Amino acid sequence: MSGVPATRVNNAGRAARRGRRPWALIGVVPFFAYVIIFLVVPAAAVMVEAFRANDGSISLTNLATVLSSKQPWLHSYAISLELSAISAVIAAVLGLVGTVALVSSPSRVVRRLVTTGCGVLANTGGVPLAFAFIATIGNAGVVTHLLADIGFDPYDHGFSLYSFAGLVIVYLYFLLPLVILLMLPPVEALRHEWREAAATLGASSRSYWQKVGFPVLTPPFIATLMVLFMDAFAAYATAQALTTGSVPLVPIEIGSLLAGNVVTNQANLGDALGLGMIVIVGAAGALYVFVQRKTARWLR
Amino acid sequence: MKPTRTFRWIALGLLGLYVLIPVAASLQFSLEAGYKGRLSLTAYSQALAEAGLGTSLLTSVKVAAGAAAITLALLVPTVIFVNLRFPRWRAVLDAVSLLPLGVPAVVIVLGVLGAYRSLPSIITGTPVILALVYVILAMPYSYRAIDASVRAIDMHTLVDAGRSMGAGWGKLFSRVLLPSLRSGILAAAFLTVALSLGEYAIASIMGFNTFPVWLVGVEGNNPYVAVALSISALAFTWILLVALALAGSGRRRRSRGFGAGLVGPEGEDEITPSLAPEEEAVA
Repeated sequence: MSGVPATRVNNAGRAARRGRRPWALIGVVPFFAYVIIFLVVPAAAVMVEAFRANDGSISLTNLATVLSSKQPWLHSYAISLELSAISAVIAAVLGLVGTVALVSSPSRVVRRLVTTGCGVLANTGGVPLAFAFIATIGNAGVVTHLLADIGFDPYDHGFSLYSFAGLVIVYLYFLLPLVILLMLPPVEALRHEWREAAATLGASSRSYWQKVGFPVLTPPFIATLMVLFMDAFAAYATAQALTTGSVPLVPIEIGSLLAGNVVTNQANLGDALGLGMIVIVGAAGALYVFVQRKTARWLR
Repeated sequence: MKPTRTFRWIALGLLGLYVLIPVAASLQFSLEAGYKGRLSLTAYSQALAEAGLGTSLLTSVKVAAGAAAITLALLVPTVIFVNLRFPRWRAVLDAVSLLPLGVPAVVIVLGVLGAYRSLPSIITGTPVILALVYVILAMPYSYRAIDASVRAIDMHTLVDAGRSMGAGWGKLFSRVLLPSLRSGILAAAFLTVALSLGEYAIASIMGFNTFPVWLVGVEGNNPYVAVALSISALAFTWILLVALALAGSGRRRRSRGFGAGLVGPEGEDEITPSLAPEEEAVA
């Protein structure tokens, strides 16, 4: 990164000269072709098929079925949204507490350890994680037995790992580390000088947080919430391995439709359900980009 | 409000327990295998003898290797080319590489099954399709890793130096560029492999018997074996990712590329495989 200005000008000039040969863009063709074939076309196919009736004509029947209150699908969306929203909020709040604790730690070793661990854990998930939790607080799990031994069997008190609450507990395992990774830069960027400046101007600790801390952390916090929400909303493996479909999440329902486990007389019903997912994830993604732009201004 | 020492240790301690308890419990669960207080490796030896372990693992390894190979073949030349010739396109490619995050895996299966139903079954009827799709799923992370290592070196100078000494593009690529991008290439391959080995949704819906799909079947018959295999799989992925992170911090002084997109202990790298870089694309 040294000697940047001179090189930059140089490179820009070179690039401009070379950029005049548009055929040279052929070098990016494979990349775009690949993305189009394996991402854009499939996603577009889902959006188009969602509007096709069985005979291939354009129609709204699939969407009408999805939105009909006589059908189970709206309920699936409600459960999916609720699960992702609750998991995201719990993870974000607990993760923020963890991040503040981490940033205040003077020990570099602890911070290294936690950030490295978070990078690894945020990539954990899926089937093995679900089974690890079954071994822990499943109905024959180690912790379940320990609790039963001291007279508090959670399964006698309405708890079940194979339920909505169980899913939240497992999701937190990979969402919490993600919060710490995402919130660490903004929390660290809450500059010491700002606090001193505020104190010099006579601000109390409370008004510092009210006027500086919270306003500055709000955009990255919302961005983090959106990432967590999208992650939880699209998650499939953990829920399937844990509940085998007893919690009717949208991805699971689409999976059963595709596998032919659910009989329907509408061939493209799955596409209509998929379209709903694209819309919801897309909205969360758009909010993320919007908020992130605001954050980028002061985080540098 | 300066967090007190007590608050700090309680918060970090609880988080630590939350991470460690399932690991410890899984170890105990699989080692006891139903006999309380008696530890043995029975579940682990049963796991090795379980029918189908070899074939499902082989399928998963092949798919992961294929996905990593395609990722590198596709992304390394593209990123080098764009950085050398069309730096202005970097933002576009960066944004495009993030697109897969906006499309849930289930939707990709829906679309692939719908759009390519008529393709020859050599592609859609074999695990080849999994490798092809996993390249897309891993792209937000693999692209970031390669791009970070390309930006960390002064490629123009290297290329000009190589050219002035008479190296052709082939030699330049194999003797100069690939070695100096080794860190990013390794990181991209590791991340793609880790993702491919663990992916369940697409493989199970499309009916391919990869390791995670097979594992779910095992759980019904023998939960101890399933947990033994799960904890082994988790340990394997964690070792892979920790190795990546450590190698990254070791060479960070020289090149900040390695392990990018995974961990950034100093908070200055792209910390997560996250969306953080998007701001660059937009700005």
